[in-house]
Amino acid sequence: MSDPVLSVQAVTRRYGLPRRNLFAAAPVLTAVDNVSFDLAAGQTLGVVGESGSGKSTLARMVMGFERPDSGRILFQGQDIHRLATGDLQQARRRFQMVFQDPFGSLDPRRRVGWSIAEPLRAMGETDTDAQVAEALEQVGLRAGHARSFPHEFSGGQRQRIAIARAIITRPALLVADEAVSALDVSVQAQILNLLMDIQDDLGLAILFISHDLAVVSCVCDTLLVMQGGQVLESGEVSGILQDPGHDYTRTLLSAARLGVS
Amino acid sequence: MIALRGLCVRTGTGHLAVRDVDLTIQAGQRLGVVGESGSGKTMLALSMMGMVPDGLQVEGQVLVDGHSIAAEDERAWRSHRARSVAMIFQEPMAALNPLVRVGDTIAEPLRRHLGLSRRDARARALNLLEETGIPQARRRLDQYPHELSGGQRQRVLIALALACDPQLLIADEPTTALDAQVALRITDLLVRLSQERRMGLLFISHDLAAVSRTTSDIMVMYGGDVVERGRTASVLSAPEHPYTRGLLAARPSLMTRSRRLPTIPGTVPQLNALAAGCRFAGRCARELPICASRRPPLSPTETGQAACHLLGAQA
Repeated sequence: MSDPVLSVQAVTRRYGLPRRNLFAAAPVLTAVDNVSFDLAAGQTLGVVGESGSGKSTLARMVMGFERPDSGRILFQGQDIHRLATGDLQQARRRFQMVFQDPFGSLDPRRRVGWSIAEPLRAMGETDTDAQVAEALEQVGLRAGHARSFPHEFSGGQRQRIAIARAIITRPALLVADEAVSALDVSVQAQILNLLMDIQDDLGLAILFISHDLAVVSCVCDTLLVMQGGQVLESGEVSGILQDPGHDYTRTLLSAARLGVS
Repeated sequence: MIALRGLCVRTGTGHLAVRDVDLTIQAGQRLGVVGESGSGKTMLALSMMGMVPDGLQVEGQVLVDGHSIAAEDERAWRSHRARSVAMIFQEPMAALNPLVRVGDTIAEPLRRHLGLSRRDARARALNLLEETGIPQARRRLDQYPHELSGGQRQRVLIALALACDPQLLIADEPTTALDAQVALRITDLLVRLSQERRMGLLFISHDLAAVSRTTSDIMVMYGGDVVERGRTASVLSAPEHPYTRGLLAARPSLMTRSRRLPTIPGTVPQLNALAAGCRFAGRCARELPICASRRPPLSPTETGQAACHLLGAQA
């Protein structure tokens, strides 16, 4: 097997909580507790868990927004939390993120072409029109859409725009945090297919974070089930679906199952 | 008990957000309403509460125990909302006053509508909280909403909804904001309450798995129309309408990654762009020439009813 695009090694992240008693130590919340995994090019790793399971903290650390207290995060062999700020800026073009609410991540006063070109400008590129047009077509929109404003689009189209912005720098890794959770079922299917098509075209590695086991099982190769910051179980999706090793995974399964036949 | 006859909701621009819905909910019946955003499912629920937003016009009849409530009779609606129907919403925090203790919130309708004394109302509020299975119910009475978890808040709202013994509980996406484990417990609770109290339940959700766990009957809406209805288990296992079929196929099921998901082309159109005939015309893979102009009636199928010209064409 080739070297992983992303290697997360024994990563832990703790938050200090407000002190409850003057004479006692402040309580500490371990949001992510000793988590490790590898993710190879062209592969999708799903992370499922409920709110408070640590899945979003994990995503933020992978994106370099937050530092782990211990452990290492290697992106293409480099420890991203040991890079100088300038080097991290340069490395950023190779990993990008898509969020749940595209409306919140697009500037309502700017034409979407401007927002899509944002990662390129951050790299110091100025001539971006052709790349914006190509990215828009890659996500199933038209080049002319670059001149429209976010409010002119439907929820599904806005998520396509967010994906266009994420792929415009040709990243090696895409982190999708609840990227389809806010969409209607018929639109959700279109966006999931789009993500899989783009993965095939670009050979992307995808870290796919969701609370919905059904969605994860459709798009992911391997799976991490998290609860309270810890990994309850991990492995091939098919194996976990057929033989869940934990009560919590079984609960997620029954929540996602259609109760007929 | 509670019925709709030819119910329409008309927008200010004259478009129909809900078109000709007939519906009866019997005591103890659990009816699921599914559809995507813009399908009219929330408008349908609000029209049963007399709470359709200003600027929208309700046509047709809302019948409670056989008596029609006139749209403008605000007193009748208030008494209807107090005694026969209650509603819970997706975001429980938004429906609770953050400055009022949980016990006082639940006691308010008991004192106002049932005329209970302060002491009796508090005792009854405790009983209601216990009925929803909230842990440490007595302690909760004196807590504020922010001290509770999302699932506990939803239980408080359910207790509040039950305060005046409604005949019908309308639950609009009650589990959408909750984690899977909590959502399972809330749907179990709604089923139990409906059975124990012989209370009707209108369960609105876009989550087909939650609807299949909670309801015995189902109604599928698209663009303001009821396109299919029947027993939940039969409709979900053998859907007849092309939209229901598309929705079920597009839904990620628990399978391992192997292929693309089937999709419904296009998106839910805006109200002003909907076809005059079948509202699904334009997105339907099996469209006939007649579909865009003539509206198909609900006709019997093997599993219930569906509104589709294909049903007539096959016969």
